[in-house]
Amino acid sequence: MEQRLANCVQLTVNEKQFIENALLSELRVDGRGPLEYRKLSIKFGKDDGSAEVQLGETRVMSFVSAQLVQPYKDRPNEGTLSIFTEFSPMADPSFEPGRPGESAVELGRIIDRGLRESRAIDTESLCILSAKLVWAIRIDIHILDNAGNLVDAANIAALASLLTFRRPECSLGGEDGQQVVVHPPEVREPLPLILHHLPVAVTFGFFSNENLVVLDPTYHEEAVMTGRMTATLNANGDVCAIQKPGEQGIFQHIIMHCLKLAHVKAGDITAKIKDAVEKHNNERALQKIKRRSSSVSVDVCGTTARLGGKQNQSGGGKDNSHLDQLKPKDEANFMECDATSSGQVQINKKDEGSKNFTGGPSSWYGKKDPYSECVNSDLLKAPMDSEC
Amino acid sequence: MEYVSPEGLRLDGRRPMEMRQIRAEIGSVSKADGSAIFEMGNTKVIAAVYGPREVQNRSQQISDRALVRCEYSMANFSTGDRMRKPKGDRRSTEISLVIRQTMEACILTHLMPRSQIDIYVQVLQADGGTRSACINAATLALADAGIPMRDLVTSCSAGYLNSTPLLDLNYVEDSAGGPDVTVGILPKLDKVTLLQMDSKLPIDILENVMQLATEGCKAIANYIREILLENTKQLEYRRGS
Amino acid sequence: MREIQLQLNQTQKLRLQKVLETLQSQSSIPNSDSSVTISDSISVNHEDGVLKGHGTTDHNGDVVATLCGIVERVNKLVYVRTLRSRYKPEDGDIVIRRVVEVAQKCWRLDINCSQNAYLMLSAMNMPDGVQRRRTAVDELNMRRIFEEGDVICAEVRRSQHDDIHLQARSQKYGKLNAGQLLTVAPYLVKRQKQHFHHLEKFDVDLILGCNGFVWVGEHVEARDVMVEDPVNLSDPQVLIPNENSVSLEEQDKNYTALETRNYICRAANAVRVLSTLGFTITLESIKEVIDLSISANLDIHDMFGCEFCVLVAEKEAERRSSSKRKR
Repeated sequence: MEQRLANCVQLTVNEKQFIENALLSELRVDGRGPLEYRKLSIKFGKDDGSAEVQLGETRVMSFVSAQLVQPYKDRPNEGTLSIFTEFSPMADPSFEPGRPGESAVELGRIIDRGLRESRAIDTESLCILSAKLVWAIRIDIHILDNAGNLVDAANIAALASLLTFRRPECSLGGEDGQQVVVHPPEVREPLPLILHHLPVAVTFGFFSNENLVVLDPTYHEEAVMTGRMTATLNANGDVCAIQKPGEQGIFQHIIMHCLKLAHVKAGDITAKIKDAVEKHNNERALQKIKRRSSSVSVDVCGTTARLGGKQNQSGGGKDNSHLDQLKPKDEANFMECDATSSGQVQINKKDEGSKNFTGGPSSWYGKKDPYSECVNSDLLKAPMDSEC
Repeated sequence: MEYVSPEGLRLDGRRPMEMRQIRAEIGSVSKADGSAIFEMGNTKVIAAVYGPREVQNRSQQISDRALVRCEYSMANFSTGDRMRKPKGDRRSTEISLVIRQTMEACILTHLMPRSQIDIYVQVLQADGGTRSACINAATLALADAGIPMRDLVTSCSAGYLNSTPLLDLNYVEDSAGGPDVTVGILPKLDKVTLLQMDSKLPIDILENVMQLATEGCKAIANYIREILLENTKQLEYRRGS
Repeated sequence: MREIQLQLNQTQKLRLQKVLETLQSQSSIPNSDSSVTISDSISVNHEDGVLKGHGTTDHNGDVVATLCGIVERVNKLVYVRTLRSRYKPEDGDIVIRRVVEVAQKCWRLDINCSQNAYLMLSAMNMPDGVQRRRTAVDELNMRRIFEEGDVICAEVRRSQHDDIHLQARSQKYGKLNAGQLLTVAPYLVKRQKQHFHHLEKFDVDLILGCNGFVWVGEHVEARDVMVEDPVNLSDPQVLIPNENSVSLEEQDKNYTALETRNYICRAANAVRVLSTLGFTITLESIKEVIDLSISANLDIHDMFGCEFCVLVAEKEAERRSSSKRKR
């Protein structure tokens, strides 16, 4: 309630009139045409299943996580999907801290309906043990900056993060076949979610003058417009959800016209999301290769041992053997090292530094590595210099 | 599951384009300024309107129009499984918002500046189409409270099951997981104010289903109009000159 | 439809139905199309320069109702008169209601309208009846005159679109004591010349507030005393009742005879019966109901019985038809 009011109060009367009058001549405040989208850019985080979408000035971040839970009684064979929205006052002063407000709930529901009711995600593939264990997928959507049209941005962010999310593989074991074994990502490659289609939300704004329709309204246009319709469609032209919550009345033929427009836009956006995801996946695959090659190179170059010897003269050889043990495993085991001896940790750091060096200027450095923060750059530089 | 039999009858014996029986009653809450009960088959909803009255929270006062508030709730006994539902869950928050914005679109709020109108709707029996029933009940209650409105708002839902468009889904049909389109119209202006849709449906079929729901809205509008007219006449006759 | 909420048996139902039919036939509504609902077009016979009044709007050149009610035409003005709605203040209306807030220099009253009304300190007679400037001391003593929760009676001085100002510039206005406040729908109270009534027979005062509140209380003569003899009572200390120590004399003054109390209840119930039946509330109709209840030898609490209600309805129909014949 307050959110809505705060939005209205901020615009002055002449600003409102200017926006409407400019629209009459098919001009928008930011220079777009009435049916143009703002610039869309999708970035992916270091972890699987996180995406940041920037639509004009609007920035939304989405993060997907999964957890093993007991399924609902009425759907024993289906995984669950839940969406949480966070409207922090950081993004817009009119958002209230604490409990999600009306608009946060509505946004969550629109995305939820679009994804769930249209069965975009194959929830049955998320089942591990019928009526006992299923994956619960949780999407957290954070609004980082509100410059209008949060719904579309949030929906794209949710889709992008779902597409890049990987869940660990599970298998049944034990004597009765009821034991669930979760394979860590190092042992078996995590699995992507199965998405049948991508429901893309497209938002229209309507104004008191019935002939005005805009696509992707900005913050200021949102304050002026008297009606809003969000249509969620996929690229095949199936309508997955529509939300037009009251407000100004619109003729039915205009709605149908809007849906057709939305279909075209949904196709464009789907292509953009897919492009971005594909790029990300390629990069990811490349990194994988690099990581493997670099770990092999550690063995070959042998600098580690020497460096380790310099730093920790007493137990150079021992550490080396220890390192050999560690090699097939991955970062998780570094934890153990941390617990056992600080000297070894230092060596590991060295090791990493050298890896980085041998692996070339790879972007994976520091990625997925709990130690990246505590690597002292001076320490790293020292051995490099010595090499040269 | 078969929702439409080969003879063209639905589970409750209706034809695909047939609405459930509707019944409306005005004046069911004596303290309220306006109130109504609206029934669509087994769905039963009560609505009460208070206002226009002094704004309770001064900071929410709007200087050029009335503040409209709406609270939707579902009685614990309204569904088959009787359980305590947390107040203000996501679904009811959303429906409250939707009802509020739908009613706000037709109330002439600028005639009542700096005042507040409260709409309370409660579902007494839920059998599908509660959203539509709530909007219809709210319209009746607002009209009964003598609040000036641009037009009546009426709402009706329609679905698409077994490749047949069905009007006014009941609970079983609603929970079949098929498409569900809820439409709210302003019958005189012939405009759509509320449109909500779930599940997957191609655009051209959606148009048909929407058309069907709109027809349903118009039928409800005629009924509501009759009820209101009869009510006005009765009050006037009894009051005398 | 807003039904009459009564548990009637079959014969009573039939009788009531008959009454309603006669009422319908006598109704002054000329034809059926004068009652409209929201979004009905009002036919104006293509007259030019029709003035669109309350409850109407323009839609593609048509005059369209925005309210449910009766279409009224005064020369070129067309407006819709609503039945059930909140009270709409008009200048000079007599209203009764409770004080909700004692603010600076004014009291705020909830008069069943879209806004609270203001009663300025300067717009009311002081208890001592002397005309003078209101001082800061008066402002501090406002609570001694009316407190939150006091029921008072006042007149609408000015009802501009937003602020509603009241005045109480006569001794007949002011705090109401020893009686009952009844709530009825505002449309049942018609604006008349006289809203203060004194039922001499029963020693009961009856005030029909235009905002749908009816006061039935003990007859108070004292109000005029102050005007007649302001010199004696010019000392404000005497008049302002001290909350803690109510003098014996005052107790005696506040005492209401049991008989009077009974009459107050009877009159109040008469108003309630009329309100449930949805008949206009006037002095005559109330008197008639009271007389009817006395002649039927009914106890006060039996006045809500269905039988009596039907009886009242029949009587009302009779009265209306006879008054129509006279005309």
